[in-house]
Amino acid sequence: MAEAYFPVGPGLGMEENFLSLDDILMSQEKLPGRAESSLPRLALLLGQGAGSGESVPEGSKLEIPLWLAKGLHDSKRRIISVELPKIYREAWRTVFSADANVVDLHKMGPYYYGFGSQLLNFENPENPEIAQTILQATVSDSVCSPQTFVARFRRIMDSSQNAYNEDTSALVARLDELERALFQVGQKGLNDFQCWEKGQASQITASSLVQNYGKRKLAEVDG
Amino acid sequence: MEPAEVEFLAEKELVTIVPNFSLDRIHLIGGDLGPFNPGLPVEVPVWLAINLKQRQKCRLIPPEWMDVGKLEEIRDQERKEDTFTPMPSPYYMELTKLLLNYASDNIPRADEIRTLVKDTWDTRMAKLRLSADSFVRQQEVHAKLDNLTLMEINTTRTFLTQALDHMYKLRTNLQPGESSHSQDF
Repeated sequence: MAEAYFPVGPGLGMEENFLSLDDILMSQEKLPGRAESSLPRLALLLGQGAGSGESVPEGSKLEIPLWLAKGLHDSKRRIISVELPKIYREAWRTVFSADANVVDLHKMGPYYYGFGSQLLNFENPENPEIAQTILQATVSDSVCSPQTFVARFRRIMDSSQNAYNEDTSALVARLDELERALFQVGQKGLNDFQCWEKGQASQITASSLVQNYGKRKLAEVDG
Repeated sequence: MEPAEVEFLAEKELVTIVPNFSLDRIHLIGGDLGPFNPGLPVEVPVWLAINLKQRQKCRLIPPEWMDVGKLEEIRDQERKEDTFTPMPSPYYMELTKLLLNYASDNIPRADEIRTLVKDTWDTRMAKLRLSADSFVRQQEVHAKLDNLTLMEINTTRTFLTQALDHMYKLRTNLQPGESSHSQDF
């Protein structure tokens, strides 16, 4: 059934894919910010007080979901200002550049790459550094210091293509959602090949759709 | 693309068989085969050879490269060089599997051949992983892989292209042009 199902994938750029479920979940993540002007009658919505009539005073700290922050953010009309979440700040960027493999991106993310790419919308002076940390090997004076995605690539490739018939939950636990999808793809390549080599590809098996159908029918009979 | 589809393509390769029946030339789409005479070698596609073999209508003659000495040489050559070396057949893995599964009684030292081909495959896959890693590390945008066979490409294809696709998007995030702010309110 998986072949006949084409979900919309994440956008992973400056723009999200409108119908991508992953992107919708990603843009729910909270972002620290500050109100640059007072926002009347929004205190309840933004979690700043009890009464529905109260306004959010200027300069108060807010936790706003990314989609709302994107809508309210404007370089000219200053409604809110957005701060960087701490995992994209200097201190964590240094950790990433030291060894990206030790970081638990699932705990940090789980949409580390997508969220980070979206952060570039806010015209932060540190944008180039963020973009670089997320992906790029900084080529400064011909010294390559591999950054997050590039540095973790080898581990994902090796573990996904060597772990045959193993419990992969430990391997996957620390991967960000994007990396997990990549891991699954690598696993499928390996599994398909191994099945073919053992001669299982020539055996006809029931499709998972039919198997599930049978189960559901039994459950109905029981109930 | 699945391995079975790669195998389907591999089955078009020609092998030599010695039939034990006689049949006139047969005209098939994509080429004429035969005539078949008992005891006389004739070239047929692998799919037909396997079918005839299963019906015990022929004896299979292994391809020239399917030989312990030659395969040892290939394996050693593969280990020595940094790049991929030319393989004896573009479908060496598939042919080895098919012929050894269905006609191992016609192939001398079949188990040794199996081990050798598997060794070569493992060497090449390790090499492929190594070169993919350095490709990503150096942020290259193109590569040339002349002597890689279809089956080898196919096992890592989706993984590699998807990873490179992610990388491309992450890399072009900050570049102006395509995603510049055309909508200013």
